[in-house]
Amino acid sequence: MTSTSLSTTETVDSQGEWEPKIMAFCCNWCSYAGADLAGTSRIQYPTNARILRVNCTGRISPEFILAALNMGADGVLVSGCHPGDCHYTSGNLKARARWALMETAIEQAGVDPRRVRLQWASASEAQVFADGVRTLTEQVRKLGPIRREWV
Amino acid sequence: MSGTEDEPRIGVFVCHCGHNIAGTVDVEAVAHMASNLPGVAFAADEMFMCSDAGQTLIKEKIKEHNLNRVVVASCSPRMHEPTFRRVVEEAGLNRYLFDQVNLREHVSWCHMREPELATEKAIDLVRMSVARASKLQNLPIKKVNVLPTTLVVGGGIAGLRASLDIADRGFDVLLVEKTPKLGGNVAKWTHLFPSDETGADIIKPLIRDVKKNKRIKILTESKVSEFDGYIGNFGVTVKNLKTEKEERYEVGAVIVTTGFEPFKPVGYYSYGESPDILTLAELQELPRSEQLLKISNGKPVKKVVFIGCVGSRQPGVKGHEHCSRHCCSATAKAAADLRDRVDEVLVLYQDIRTYGKGHEEFHRMARQKHVIYSKFPQNEYPDVIVKKSKITIKWRDVLADEDLEFEPDMVVLASAMIPPEDVEETSHLFSLTRSGDGFFNPEHIKLAPLTTHTAGVMIAGAAQAAKNASESVIDASGAAAKAVGLMAQGEVEIESTVSHVIPELCSSCHTCLTACAYNAISMDETKDPPIAVVTEAKCHGCGTCAAACPSSAIVMYHSTDDQILTMVEAFLCPSPSIQGGG
Repeated sequence: MTSTSLSTTETVDSQGEWEPKIMAFCCNWCSYAGADLAGTSRIQYPTNARILRVNCTGRISPEFILAALNMGADGVLVSGCHPGDCHYTSGNLKARARWALMETAIEQAGVDPRRVRLQWASASEAQVFADGVRTLTEQVRKLGPIRREWV
Repeated sequence: MSGTEDEPRIGVFVCHCGHNIAGTVDVEAVAHMASNLPGVAFAADEMFMCSDAGQTLIKEKIKEHNLNRVVVASCSPRMHEPTFRRVVEEAGLNRYLFDQVNLREHVSWCHMREPELATEKAIDLVRMSVARASKLQNLPIKKVNVLPTTLVVGGGIAGLRASLDIADRGFDVLLVEKTPKLGGNVAKWTHLFPSDETGADIIKPLIRDVKKNKRIKILTESKVSEFDGYIGNFGVTVKNLKTEKEERYEVGAVIVTTGFEPFKPVGYYSYGESPDILTLAELQELPRSEQLLKISNGKPVKKVVFIGCVGSRQPGVKGHEHCSRHCCSATAKAAADLRDRVDEVLVLYQDIRTYGKGHEEFHRMARQKHVIYSKFPQNEYPDVIVKKSKITIKWRDVLADEDLEFEPDMVVLASAMIPPEDVEETSHLFSLTRSGDGFFNPEHIKLAPLTTHTAGVMIAGAAQAAKNASESVIDASGAAAKAVGLMAQGEVEIESTVSHVIPELCSSCHTCLTACAYNAISMDETKDPPIAVVTEAKCHGCGTCAAACPSSAIVMYHSTDDQILTMVEAFLCPSPSIQGGG
C-alpha cells in the first residue's frame, strides 16, 4: 500500500451540514466520571461524541474501534484512568499495549490514525476530558468524513 | 419474573430533571423518537424520574405494558443507577434489565448553548441504550458466605484498636505484625499530643487488652506472604520472619493498618552531617531524661531549633507533595515541653496548621512559654551549616523581613510521614492502588474512605494517608465496624457482572491468565487440553480478559461484545425507518 492511498486531509466546508460522528469509549471510574464532572462544572465542549460506558479501558477490544470506523464513525475516542491509577490495577496498561498495534493496523488499512485518540482523564480532570473531545473533533473535522480509503 | 428469552418490551422514560435537561434538550422529541424504536412498548417524558412519582410511574408502566426492559434517560448512572435498579427489582424485573442514559451531565449541562445539537445527541444516546436494552440478559443475584475471622495487618495503634473492637463484638482476629513488638510508631514517642502521657503509656493498656483477649491470635515477627481468595473467603499465608515457617489461615475480611514510616530527610538541612541534627521522630525516641543532652558530646542542650514541613508540601516532588498533618501539632507539643528544660526554643515554619481538637491550644501554649516562631519564605529554605561540630542556621524571617542567624545546640526536623518501605509489596498482595502521596487509595475519598477496590479489604490509619494517632483510631474503629458488619451478615452479595469462559471455544492459550489482575482465572487441568475457568467471586468485572481472548471464548456479562457493538451500530447505522428520529 502506498502513502497516496492513505486518508486525505481534505477539509470539508461544513456549512452547518456535516458534523463529525465521534464514538467515545470511556471507563466507568475515571473518564466517565470526568465527563460527569465536566457536566456538573458546566464546561462546554462539542456535541459530537457519543459516550459508551465500559467498566475499564481494558474491556475495549480493538475490534470495537475497527467496527466503529467500519460503520462510519469519523473518529473514535478512548478515554481511561491514568497509568498507575486504574480502578482495576492495570486494565488501562493492557489497553495502551493494544493501542499501539491497533493504530498500526488501521493505518495499514488506510485510515488516518489521527481519527483515533487514546487519552487519560481522571474523575477530577473534567477539563482534560472536554479538551480531548474538542481536540479530536477539530482534528477529525479537518480530515473530513471518513470513507473507505483503500481498494 | 419476565424471562429474557421473551421478545423485548422496552419502556423508555425521559426525565426533564426540572429545567436541568428539558431546558436544553427537547425531551418530548426524544420520547417520541423512542416510541418508534424497535422493541419499545412504551415511552414517555416525566418531570422527575427519581421522585416518588417517577418511580411509581415506572412500576405502573411495567405492569400495565408488561415491560421486560427499562431505559431511563436522565442523569448519570453513577448517581441513580442503584435507585432505578431497585425500582425495576421492586416491580419484579431483574436489576440487570435496566439501562440508563446520561442526558444531564453528558448532554444538557455541557451543551447548554446548542439545544438542537444537544437534542440530536440525546436521541442518538437513547437509541443506543434501547438497542443495548434489547440485548440485556437476566443475571442471577449471587451470595457467598463470610468466614467469621478478620485479618489485621500491622500492630500499631490502628491495628490494635481494630482488633479489640472486632474481638469485643465476638469475632476472631488474626493480628500480624512484622516487628517483634506491638505498638508501632506510637509506642516510641515520648511527647505524644494531645495528652501529657507518653506514647508508650497510652498504648500499653491497649496492648495488654489485645494480648489478654482470647479471640485475638497475635503473630509478631511475621508477614503475610501470600493472599488469595475473595470477599468472605480469603486465604492467607503468614510467614514467620525468624523461623521462615509459613502457615495458612482462612479469613472473611482484612484490615490493612500498615501505617507509615518517618522520612529520613537525607539531603535536607544537612541531615546526617551532625548527630545533633535529627528528625522529630528520632527526638521522640531518645531515652527519657531530666535534661536533654547533645548526642555529639553529652552536654546539656540550651538552644533547640525545630524546622517544619521537612519533606512535606513540596509541589512537584513525587511522594512529598502532601501535608503530613501531624507535624505542626507534634512540634508545638514537643517545643512547649522542651521549653521547660532548655533556654531557647525556635520553630522555623512555612505555615502552621494545628487543626485538631485541642491542637491550637498547644500552639498557643508553646507561644505562651516563649517558644519563638519564625516564618520563612515558601521557596527560600533556611540554610543549616555544620562547621567543626558547630551548627549555624541562616534564614529570612518573612514577618520582620530580615535575614536572621542562630547557633543552636540541636536541630529537630519535623519530617514527613511516608509509606513504609515495603508498601509496594503490600499493595500487590492485596491489589490496592496508591495515590500520589504513596499511601493506599480508598474506594471513594469521601463516601467510602475505609473500604478499598478489593472487596472485603479495608484500610485504616496512616496506611491511607498521613494522619495522627487520634485520627488513626477513629479509622480503626470504623474499619472494624465494616468488617464486623460483613461477618455479622454471614453472607454477602457479589456482583454478577463477571466474565465467563465458554469451554468449547477456549483454545487453552493462557492469554486471559496474564490479562487478569486478580488471579481470577485459572486453568482446569483436569480437562485435556486444559481450559480456562473464572472464579466468579474473585472477578472484578473489568472485562480485560474478554478483550484479550483471541478465541472470543470469554463473555463479559452485562458488557458483552454484542451489547457493546449493538450500541455502536445504533449510533452509526440506525435502520432507515428510525433514522429521522421521528
